Amino acid sequence: MISWEAKTKLDKRINNRIVLILVILTGLLIILFVADLCAGPVKIPVRDIFSMLLTGNSENQIWATIFFDFRIPKAVTAVMAGAALSVAGLQMQTIFRNPLAGPYVLGISAGASLGVALLVMGFSSYLTSQSVNYFGNWAQIIAACMGAGLVLFLILAVSARVQDIMTILILGILFGSATSAIVSIIQYFSHQSMLKAFVVWSMGSLGNLSAQQLNILIPCIITGLFFSFIFSKILNALLLGETYARSLGVNIKFARIMLFISTSILAGSIMAFCGPIGFVGIAVPHIVRILMKCANHYWLIPGSMITGAIMLLVSDIVSILPGFDAMLPVNSVTALLGIPVVIWIILQNKKITSISQ
Amino acid sequence: MDINNNILVIEGLSVGYGEPGAAGKPVFSGISLRAGKGESIAVIGKNGVGKSTLLRTIGRLQKPLGGKIHVKGSDIMHYKRNAFARLISFVSTETIHVSNMSVFHLVSMGRYPYTGWTGKLGDDDYTIVNEAVHLAGIDDLKCKPINEVSDGERQRAMIARALAQDTEIIILDEPTAFLDLPGKYEIIRLLNELTANKGKTIIFSSHDLNITLQETDKIWLMHNNKITEGAPEDLIINKDIYSLFKDSRISFNFESGDFRLARRKVGKITLKGEGPLKYWTQRALERLGYEICDEPDEGTSVLINDKNKTAEWIVMKKGIEIKCNSIYNLSLHLRNINS
Repeated sequence: MISWEAKTKLDKRINNRIVLILVILTGLLIILFVADLCAGPVKIPVRDIFSMLLTGNSENQIWATIFFDFRIPKAVTAVMAGAALSVAGLQMQTIFRNPLAGPYVLGISAGASLGVALLVMGFSSYLTSQSVNYFGNWAQIIAACMGAGLVLFLILAVSARVQDIMTILILGILFGSATSAIVSIIQYFSHQSMLKAFVVWSMGSLGNLSAQQLNILIPCIITGLFFSFIFSKILNALLLGETYARSLGVNIKFARIMLFISTSILAGSIMAFCGPIGFVGIAVPHIVRILMKCANHYWLIPGSMITGAIMLLVSDIVSILPGFDAMLPVNSVTALLGIPVVIWIILQNKKITSISQ
Repeated sequence: MDINNNILVIEGLSVGYGEPGAAGKPVFSGISLRAGKGESIAVIGKNGVGKSTLLRTIGRLQKPLGGKIHVKGSDIMHYKRNAFARLISFVSTETIHVSNMSVFHLVSMGRYPYTGWTGKLGDDDYTIVNEAVHLAGIDDLKCKPINEVSDGERQRAMIARALAQDTEIIILDEPTAFLDLPGKYEIIRLLNELTANKGKTIIFSSHDLNITLQETDKIWLMHNNKITEGAPEDLIINKDIYSLFKDSRISFNFESGDFRLARRKVGKITLKGEGPLKYWTQRALERLGYEICDEPDEGTSVLINDKNKTAEWIVMKKGIEIKCNSIYNLSLHLRNINS
């Protein structure tokens, strides 16, 4: 029988290799997570880091506060953001069959920044500076959610009517440009200090989340990732294009709407809590495809989750600038770190890796 | 069920774009056709006549603007998505360029309607995928990435994918486009094997008239807002095929069933000879614009002398004799004589 021979030869060899890659990546993720906990302006010995991780408290109260209220939420946020943005980017690259698509291609980031811009530069003049500080964090999150939600609603309304996926892509870009233009107008007319507050938000940050906010972010991301994992079969079919997916029995409109919603949950909640964090969503899926040499989303999704988390942890460690007292905006670090990696990979492969031409 | 054991029955179908009703833009209307089980059917017609639209409508990739399509006695619009995917598979003209996707993975996508939510293949699925790969003759390519194989191999992989989908009807939109001549025949041979050995009903569009007229069970001819069906020979005898070329410079040879470009006429010529040499010489003379006549004429005549080891052609005109050692030389002389 040809079947058994082929099955053992093909399937086992490929799966073993991919599982090995996933195990190595997970090991790397754990090491980097601990490294991220160790990194920071205040030096805490590694031994104490481990004892705090295991026992849950420390004799040194300052260390405990720094560790439990700042470093752990930040490291967890980095893992969440990396996983969410990478999977969102992977989904968008597959559904649009475009290697340049990313989590923000639907205009969700532009929508979120419009919400925040309206809040920070538009309405805040009616509030005292103290009340801005008090509400600030939550209000920004809600404003970003509303902005992203508005754009998502427009995209869904369009995709229920338009057949061609490229039309949706172009409309998404147009919506994004229009919202960015409105944001620019608001920036132009706003006061200097408000402008600075907005610019700081637009640089992204992993360190602003309280444990309470993490309690909201984590379930959101897990829901989004769960959706994505359930749709891995549909994503595989969409690789062949919509004609083939349809002839295989995929309900295209349903698939599109569910994938857009899942992407919006993933990218939108990171956008709301951390601000825009660029590049991870575009670069990581390509890195994972090259590492795994496979096109099956059943493997690509966990691969992207772990690799994305690794990438953001590294970015966070670098952004702390070990040895200096200053911190860099994480949005710039992801790009500056990621771009050389991707350029190197592309040149190594001597061709631009694409999911479709 | 009628006597012909038809698996596909189309009644008064109108295909085109837009929504059913007044807003729709029909490309072709009044389509009534039949397809029997295990038949290979070629859809032929000029570019833009609506072949792809018809095939896409049968494959339920777009909505019919009117009329009905029945598969196995039920309207196709009544099938559930998954059930329909187990009934009709589709191979489009679109080329797939997914990096890192092996031929085996591509073919295994055909199992989509049968697998669970993870898409994991069971033992039966493996057997079916491997059989499909084997039937399509691409066993050696299983591990190769799909964007590194040739056009013909990719087309075979796409057909294998449709086979893995295990449907009774396979629809292919121009499966022989972009292939070289042996490649075209290979694909048609593969399709014929599938109808004969596996009982599949195969419907495909094609521009390769010579091949389709020779190799298919049935032709759906789309021309001038009229669709005619029948065995290729019926369409030739009824002169339906001619209608395709009415306005063009192509003539259809009723005896041999192939096509020639209409040529300027140069004159009459007498040809004497035997066997294949005569046949091929005649073809050359016809290409040059001569009408062959058997009666000895006072004009030009060609005599084939194959008594010696190498054949020679003797051209005679007004008592002058010229010997030529190849058909090419013969054609050069004939051109000289005429100019």
